[in-house]
Order: sequence, then structure tokens, then C-alpha cells
Amino acid sequence: MNDIAVTTLLIVSLFLLLGSGVWIGLTLAGVAWIGMQLFSSRPAGDAMAVTVWGSASSWTLTALPLFIWMGEILFRTKLSESMFRGLAPWVSRLPGRLLHTNVIGCTIFAAVSGSSAATCATIGKMTLPELGKRGYPEDITIGSLAGAGTLGLLIPPSIIMIVYGVTADVSIAKLFVAGIIPGILLAALFSGYLAVWAAVNKQRVPVPDQVLTFTQKLHESRHLIPVVLLIGAVLGSIYTGVATATEAAAVGVVGALVLSALQGSLNWGTFRESLMGATRLYCMIALILAGAAFLTLAMGYIGLPRHLAEFVRGLGLSPFMLMIALSIFYIILGCFLDGISMVVLTMGVILPTVQAAGFDLVWFGIFIVIVVEMAQITPPVGFNLFVLQGMTGKEITWIARVTAPFFFLMCAMVLLLWFVPQIATWLPARM
Amino acid sequence: MRRLLDFLYDGAAWLAALAMVGVLAMVLLSIVSRQVGFHVPGTDAYAGYAMAAAGFLALAHTLKRNEHIRVTLLLGRLKGGARRGLEIWALSAGVLLAALFAFYSVRLAWVSRSINDISTSNDATPLWIPQLAMAVGTLVLLVALVDEWVLELRGQRKSVESEEALHNE
Amino acid sequence: QTKWDLPAAYPAGNFHTENLELFAKDVEKATNGKLKIQVHANASLFKAPEIKRAVQGGQAQIGEILLVNFQNEWPLFGADGIPFLADSYDTAAKLWRAQKPMLEKKLNEQGMMVLYAVAWPPQGIYTKRQLNSAADMKGLKWRAYSPATARIAELVGAQPVTVQAAELSQAMATGVIDSYMSSGATGYDTKTYEHIKNWYDTQAWLPKNAVIVNRAAFQALDKPTQDALLKAAAEAETRGWANSRKANGEVLEKLKANGMQILQPSAQLKADMKKVGDQMLKEWLEKAGPEGQQLVDAYRKL
Ligand code: NA
Ligand code: NA
Repeated sequence: MNDIAVTTLLIVSLFLLLGSGVWIGLTLAGVAWIGMQLFSSRPAGDAMAVTVWGSASSWTLTALPLFIWMGEILFRTKLSESMFRGLAPWVSRLPGRLLHTNVIGCTIFAAVSGSSAATCATIGKMTLPELGKRGYPEDITIGSLAGAGTLGLLIPPSIIMIVYGVTADVSIAKLFVAGIIPGILLAALFSGYLAVWAAVNKQRVPVPDQVLTFTQKLHESRHLIPVVLLIGAVLGSIYTGVATATEAAAVGVVGALVLSALQGSLNWGTFRESLMGATRLYCMIALILAGAAFLTLAMGYIGLPRHLAEFVRGLGLSPFMLMIALSIFYIILGCFLDGISMVVLTMGVILPTVQAAGFDLVWFGIFIVIVVEMAQITPPVGFNLFVLQGMTGKEITWIARVTAPFFFLMCAMVLLLWFVPQIATWLPARM
Repeated sequence: MRRLLDFLYDGAAWLAALAMVGVLAMVLLSIVSRQVGFHVPGTDAYAGYAMAAAGFLALAHTLKRNEHIRVTLLLGRLKGGARRGLEIWALSAGVLLAALFAFYSVRLAWVSRSINDISTSNDATPLWIPQLAMAVGTLVLLVALVDEWVLELRGQRKSVESEEALHNE
Repeated sequence: QTKWDLPAAYPAGNFHTENLELFAKDVEKATNGKLKIQVHANASLFKAPEIKRAVQGGQAQIGEILLVNFQNEWPLFGADGIPFLADSYDTAAKLWRAQKPMLEKKLNEQGMMVLYAVAWPPQGIYTKRQLNSAADMKGLKWRAYSPATARIAELVGAQPVTVQAAELSQAMATGVIDSYMSSGATGYDTKTYEHIKNWYDTQAWLPKNAVIVNRAAFQALDKPTQDALLKAAAEAETRGWANSRKANGEVLEKLKANGMQILQPSAQLKADMKKVGDQMLKEWLEKAGPEGQQLVDAYRKL
């Protein structure tokens, strides 16, 4: 049977199973099963069990459940509330004033949280009511929150980077470092857009409610101390050699517990909730990863990725055209899939191709993270859209529309990353 | 019967949560041992086993809380009999796949024991022991899916709206 | 036409993997395409610890394993990981001749056969310190990635530290470790020269990769194909050992060019390490029992 027929059959079964509501992890395993039984001479079952066990018990992945747990603990503290109070006085002179609290808040919180939706939910829980009370228009506050929330993925630590690093065999520490400059740059793009928007829509930006002196501002900044300490503990433990990048997640969990205890929000109830919440969340991701590991194995037996990589090589696309083609491919995929599935599903096929085209795998990781960020805000399946739908009760289509400008800013960021690759590669090369 | 089943899912989930604490403990132990200057061989491997246990043992509980993600685009638009038909199809496919998953997970641990498969790293653990968590977890998932399937068929399945799933990614 | 999958754990550019590719090509040519072996390099099909089991269970018909990886299961798999028992290419080849019949017997019990084995380049010590004797190794933060490397640390008073291969560069950069034992090739691949400047060429041991095959799959082949496979394997073994020596020479030059000092151990350090080796051999013999003694006797007679 030729490759096109095999690919068509597998993609059709993938969409049939996914579309009919079968759980994503089980769907991936099912497609792998069909592929292996039909197109390889090997029996599927035992190979599946060995591979799933190997990936589920691999030490390199241990940072994933721990960062998830840390996020669940912080979600139940007053961290975001105090961050708002610390930040607000400093942005009151910028064009757009408190609108920037979404972007700056998400940027800072992203440095302790590995996930986009958690960043969006935690910051939004605080800023949306505060901004609404002061009369800031909903469309721009919700849009900027949805957009900036995705920074949780690009600024280290990042769950998606761990998944990519494990799948592509790239150093997670390097990926983390590589995300810093693009993350700050993207945040600056968002803030720049907000400033321009505010200049154009002057009448829609409310007047500042109070003007503080410099000393008062400094005093208010004390509310930023907890989050700065936590960031310092996680990143500091890595760069002083106390912990490796993987182990730093455990430092983060302990730090979050200490913070939660100091703020008085740690009790048996919140501890249990955060632990069970993290266990379920990790379990959900683990099932998808298990299915994906099996699918990757099946692909290896069938030889599809090899053939596809050879096919694309044969097309002789220029690297730029390849990058554009991949961007479009991922944007379309991102409308329907969550980020982790996007990465694990495609890496087996895409990696040999991009390696053959001479892409740097750390650079490519940053590229993937940005397209996954876009997927968080494109309907119908976009996790940040879901979060904001839950928080504001707005229609998902409306949220997607007000977030669109930030989607285009991310497209611009991809182009910028292409023309100035050093944005991603300069810092890790200095490690 | 219902109470027994719920106890099964929750009990497994509690073990999973304990394993999650185990991951943290093992990673902390490797950090602390390095600082203080002693050596516990195999902390990395034990962290990996605990992580696997956390993932597999919570499968059923997570399913029952409706936190395993799936695409509900089509399901959400259907009503009445059509919706039920599609739900039964999705659950049937789920039961079949979970059955395969459980069968081969049990077989994995079984074969590991009979061929004496031992971890190749410093811990030298007989692998069938940590693999029991995978066997048990996938079996409980199978039970939970059959449970859901029966409830749906009888029209007693409650749909749980979950918000937890939203703070991931 | 028969198709075999060959999972291997090392990347495509590694000399072991290149040798596997040539071996696969030789087999295909010699059998006129009747047996086609697809090499899956870089752990793309199964990861290193899973490959033996995959061949045993028939998930792959043939595979390449690092023998010492399986010493927890049976101590004799780890005979080529005992420090200073065989400390040159010539003695390592002798050890393999003594080891092979016993390995064949063990793998036969497990439904497998061994086709050939090729040594890795000899293991030396990467360290930030100057080492004149084993006493200088006290307190080193020493990467322990196997039972043997952990035991060496204990015997010389260094602190064993667990660091995964993926985090080796970062661990050296931030001072999590300041020393470890490995071949010149590993040091070059992980850019160790950026952080550590001394490599003591102790030639402590030469671990081997072995290519193993599922016996049922082998017996399903017709006689001419079996013979062609065995002939290609014998050629691959000869070629592999020569390539290993060549690769070692080249990589040491590359290390030097990048600022690594390739140092010969002092007489004192050599004597101290020999003592460590003797102790570890004694411990190994206790674990391995009469089989182990038989192997060491056979090796010493060669
Ligand atoms: Na982050
Ligand atoms: Na989307």
C-alpha cells in the first residue's frame, strides 16, 4: 500500500475518533493500533505496553507534574492580588495606564507558572474586576488578558517546552533560557500595541484614580516581594547549581507551599485540593502523552515520518517557505487541538524534516511554542478562550474577536524570529 | 455497588496523590543529598516510578470528574437520541481501547516478572513492581468506562461540568 | 522478502550506528534483498534499556544493546565494566573472547543469539582538578551514572552525584558536578571541554555494544540467508573494532584542539586506581559466583 493511502486512512480514523468525542489519549492509541495492525508486520500490544511504560516513567518528565502542582498551589493563594497592588502605581503614567497590568502581570506570573491558561486565570481573577470597577472597556481588557496569558508558555518555566524538549531530545535548560528574550519582546509588542490603542482611543481610557509620590509607589511595591522571591528561588536554584532544570520544579512546589503558608491560605483543605487538582491535571496530560508515545512508535514501524521527510526534502522548499508552510499547518491544527497534542502528534513527522533543512532545534522549539501560544486563542478549541468564557460569561466568538489583534502580533513575532534568529539562540549559546 | 465503585476510583486516586507527593520527595531528596553530601542511589528512577503511578492510578477518577479532554464540538450540537447514540459510540470505542490498554499493561508486568526484567540504572528494581501501578490503574480505568457505558445505556449518566481542566496548558 | 527492524540507542553519526548501517547494507546485498534490515537510530523506536526486552519479546527481531546496562540482571553482562580488568583494545578483545561463549549460553536461554560486539573507546577521568593520586579525588563532585561509577566514587572518597545525560552540560556549567568518567567521544559530544579542562587517559574499561537477534526470527530464515547474516556480522565486528580505535584517535585530537589537556595518569594514580579496580573485581566475583571466576580465569589464560 502506498504512503498516501496509509496517511489518508490514518488521518481519517484520527478525525473520526476525535470528532465523535473519543478521549484524545485513547484516540491516539487507537490510531496507532490501527496503523500497526494494518501496515506493519509486528503485533501491536506488547510494543505499546513497553513504550507507554518507558515514557510514563521517564525521569526527564518529572518536572511536568511538579510544575503543574506548583501552579495549583499558587492558584489558591493571594499571589495575583498582591501583584496587582504592587504593579498598579507604576503604570499609571503610561498611555493606556492600568491596561498594562494584564501584560506585565502575566509576564511576571509566567516566570513562576508553566502554563498559559493558569496564567490567564490567575491574573484575570484579579485584574478583570479591578479594571472593570475603574471603567476600562471590556473588549481591550479581555483581549489583552487572553493574549498576554499565553506568555506563560514562552517565558520559563514552561510545560510545553518540557514536552517539546523530551520529545525532540533538546536540553530543557537551553529551551528555558531561549524563551526569555522572545518572551519579553512579545510582552513589549503587546504593551506597545496597548499604548497605540490608548493613544487612538483616548476617550475610552479612564483617568487615574490617585497619583502617588515616588516613595508611596515604592512602598506599594512591597506587594511584589513574594512573587519576586519565588521567581528568585526557582531560577536561582538552577543558576547556582543547587538544582538542575528538572529538579527546580520541586523547589517551586516547596516555595509555593511556603508562600501559601505565609499568606495564611495554606490549610489541609487547600493542600488537598491543590494536590488532587494537580494529580488529575497531570493524569489528563499523561494519558495523552501515553497515546502519543504509542503513535510515535507505530509511525516508526510504518516508516511514515521517514517517507514524509524524504518527500518534503524532495520538494526542495527553501527554509523560509518551509517555515511559512509549517506556520500555516500549525495555525490550522491549533484551531482544533490543544498545544501538547499538537507537539507530540507532529514531532515524529516534522523533526526529521526540519533537521534536514538545517533548523536549529532550540530555535525551532521557540517557534513551536509561539505557534502553540496562538492556538490558545483561536476558536473553536482554545484554552485561554475557555478560561475567559468561564470567567466572564461572554461568547467564545466575541472573545476570539477581541483577542485577534494579539494573534496578529504573534504572527509578527514569528516573522521577527525568522529574520533575527539570535533573539532565541543568542542567550542559550552563552550558557 | 455504586459505593463500592466510587470507593475504588477514589481509593486509586488517593494512591495517585500519594505517588505525586512521592515524586516531590524523591526530587527533594536528590537535591538535599547533594548539598549535605550523602548519596541515595536511584532517586531519579524512584521519582519516575512515582510519576507513572500518579498518572495511571488517577485515570478513572479523572474520567469520572470529566477532566480527560476530548473534542465535544459535535456532541455539544446534537440533542436527544442522536447525542445519546454518539455518546454510546464514543464510550464503546473507549471501552475497547481501555480493555486493550489494560490487558497489555497486566501482561507487561507479568512478562517482566517471568523474564526477570530489572531496571538498568542504579536502583536495580525488578520492574514488575512499579509496573503494577500501570496494570492496576488501567484496569480501574476500564471498570470506570464500563460503568459510564452502562449508566449511559440506562440513561442515568450525569454530566459533570468541570472547570479544573481549564487551568492547564 | 523479510524485513527486520533494528532499534539502536545512539545517534546516526556515531561510529557504532554507521557500522550498523553498513552491516544492514551488506546483508541486503549478500541476500539479494531477501533480508532487509531497517536501522532505527537514536532510540527512535525503543530506548536503550528497552531494546533487549524488545528483541526477546519479538517486538524487534534484532537490536543493539550496551552490555553493561544489563549487569543488574546478570553480573556477567557487566564484565567489561569492571575497572582496570581489561584496560586496552587488545585486552578488551581478549575479554570478549572469554565472555562470548558464556553470553551466548545466557542469551540462548532467553531465546536470543549474539551476532557481534564492538568496544567503545576507553574510559578516562574528566576533572577540574590536577590528580596525582587517588587522595586528590577526595570530595570531588562525581557523576555516578551506573553502579560501577558510583562505587568508584565511594572507594576514592568522592561524592557520587546523580545527573542525567540530558543535563550533563548544564550540571558542569553550574558546578553540580566537577568530574566524571567517560570516553573521549562522550566528552566531545557533550562539549565537556567548555567546563572541564583535564582528561586523564586511564583506559579504565572498554564497554561493548552487542548486536543481538531473536532466535525464532533467525531460525525462520533459510540457510543461505542465515549464513550471509553471520558472515556480514563477522565482518562488521572486525570493521567495528578498527573504527573504534580510529574514532578514539580522531576525537582525542578534536578535544585537544578545543583546549582539553589529555594527560597520562601518574604512577601513583595508576597504582591507586589499580587498588580500586582490585577491590571492585573482588566484589564483582562475590556477586557473580563461580561463573564469574570461570570467566576471569579464562580471560587471564588468553
Ligand atoms: Na512560564
Ligand atoms: Na485553538
